[in-house]
Amino acid sequence: MTGGKARLLRSGGPLLGLLATWLLFAATAGGTFTSWANHELMLLQTAVVGIAAIGATWIIVGGGIDLSVGSSVAVGTMVGAIALREGASWPLAAAATITACTLVGFAIGALVTGALGRLVLAAMAAALAAQVVSLVTSADTPATGACLAAAAVAATATWLATARLRWSLPLSPFIVTLGLWGALRGLAKGLGGNQPVYFSGNDDIRWLMMPGSTFLPPGVWALLGCAVVGALLLRRTVFGRHVQALGSNRNAARLSGIDVPRTELGSYLVGGACAGVAAVLQLAYLSMGDPTTAQGLELKAIAAAVIGGASLAGGEGAIAGTLVGAFVMTIVDNGCTKLGLDNWVQEVATGAIIVGAVALDRARAGARRA
Amino acid sequence: MRLAPILGLLLLATACGDSPATPETPGAPAKPRVAVIPKGTTHVFWQAVAEGARTAAAPAGVDVVWKGPLQENDRAQQIQLVQQFVGEGIAGLALAPLDHTALMPAVAAARAKGIPVVIFDSALNGVPGEDFASYVATDNTRGGEMAGAHLGSLLGGKGKVVMLRYQVGSASTEQRETGFLTACKQAGLEVVVHNRYAGATVGEAKTQALNLADTLRDAQGVFCSNESATAGMLQALEQLGLAGKVRFVGFDSSPPLVAALRGGTIDALVVQDPRRMGELSVQLLADLLAKKPVPPVVDTGAVIATKANADEPAIARLLR
Repeated sequence: MTGGKARLLRSGGPLLGLLATWLLFAATAGGTFTSWANHELMLLQTAVVGIAAIGATWIIVGGGIDLSVGSSVAVGTMVGAIALREGASWPLAAAATITACTLVGFAIGALVTGALGRLVLAAMAAALAAQVVSLVTSADTPATGACLAAAAVAATATWLATARLRWSLPLSPFIVTLGLWGALRGLAKGLGGNQPVYFSGNDDIRWLMMPGSTFLPPGVWALLGCAVVGALLLRRTVFGRHVQALGSNRNAARLSGIDVPRTELGSYLVGGACAGVAAVLQLAYLSMGDPTTAQGLELKAIAAAVIGGASLAGGEGAIAGTLVGAFVMTIVDNGCTKLGLDNWVQEVATGAIIVGAVALDRARAGARRA
Repeated sequence: MRLAPILGLLLLATACGDSPATPETPGAPAKPRVAVIPKGTTHVFWQAVAEGARTAAAPAGVDVVWKGPLQENDRAQQIQLVQQFVGEGIAGLALAPLDHTALMPAVAAARAKGIPVVIFDSALNGVPGEDFASYVATDNTRGGEMAGAHLGSLLGGKGKVVMLRYQVGSASTEQRETGFLTACKQAGLEVVVHNRYAGATVGEAKTQALNLADTLRDAQGVFCSNESATAGMLQALEQLGLAGKVRFVGFDSSPPLVAALRGGTIDALVVQDPRRMGELSVQLLADLLAKKPVPPVVDTGAVIATKANADEPAIARLLR
């Protein structure tokens, strides 16, 4: 059997689940559920969690986990909103948002691989990026100069220390991102001085998530674009294959000559970039920077990946499956609202579907092996 | 394991016996459906709004769909709900916006489709009567002022006061907090803490309040601007042994808060009329559907409840 066929079979399970959920709500909720307008809406509502889940899939396939993506998205919306408030154009604000989240991904990767020098590098890059944005928008960020100097000193010191003592301190990704889950949420609140950030009058960015402006809003195209790029990178490039190898057997990967820290760092970078794109869309959707937004997004992203056939043990997972998983959760949300079910029923149903979908998939996989 | 089939049969038998035939009246003309979207569904306050909305549904001749976000601070999910109801062509929409700006585009989209929107409880940026049909709410600034004035009279016009805010970006509670601060200034009270946020749940509020332990020991008065913050603060004061020693004014009511009011650990509660808010929202929507004119702003009122007046019928109705 070729790899392509095997993959098709693997994403067949989640696809069946998607079909079953869809049919269930189509039968019970009727025309208001099956209309095209509702599907456009559901696609739109999947964009943020879907893109975050693509990043999560990369990290999970590489044998890691990211519990901080919700907080990272909140930081992203705050950075973008501040840029917009200071008069930046929306592409610049989007670039700042993606940069911020990618740097967060880099920092996670640096902490997980124990490359502390790289962490300081990330801090310097962040200060530099803030400086650039403030120059372009001519906003006041008096602290960045000081930050930059401090970061440079710290970088030199750390580099000296690590080079002399060969000191590296790898940490479990669960613990790193558990810490950042709280720390980044705090940073998001701090960025806005405990307030949400509004940018009334400079809200062109809303176009990204506005239904009706183009055939499917740009946010949906962003989701599909990220999925295609993410899948091709994961399957067709050396880097992608290294990430898979790393997730399935770390020691074997090291022994076959893969640069494990660099590959691992790369997987968190991809995750961070995805979080950045998700944050841009969340910013467009909310038309504000919200430090409390996207709570629980990390678990939804992981759930989507897992419904889609990813294994939390690493090495296994497909972007197509993850997309299917994200759609299943949107359909449950949407359908339960259409049926007028109470929130508690919806939450119980979502939980049951996550466990049920994975159990079904494992049962199928077992049957195939037997 | 041998018990399983027996249990199953028993369950089946009892389940069949229990389920009554659903009293659907076939052939009745479909009533227009209106959606009422609160900020959340777990607070007692929203349950009273739901009760009011459902009571008003039958006389107004509409069906009410009640649906809130799963978490009471998830703006994105509230936007999703509005979009979804607008998408399925709901007849009317009553909304308590979680954010005065973030919900604007979604409401504008509803207006563009000709769906009447009543905003209740919490403000939305825009002009009532133009950007949305009507605004039904407590005059929150006034409510905060009443709390400040009452605390001022309890403390005899001097003393240190702690105010625990509810949450960033929530317009109704911010107005209460502003009103409270104004009244404190007038009453001559010194507000020592006013920049701490309780967060969305009682648990978070309690944690925040416990973090303020030293300040609370030093203070003579406390004010919280909503139900969950008041409940969290109450628990924290009890844990610190300060309950009943420090003068405590809260906002909104729930069974534990009313019990504390009667027990003397809370001195006063500013209570709104959420039931009336729900009733009025649905009535106004029905009027709008019937093309009747509606007032752009409706104040549903707030009163100070104390141990002394808790049994007066007009107050007791609001204490629950």
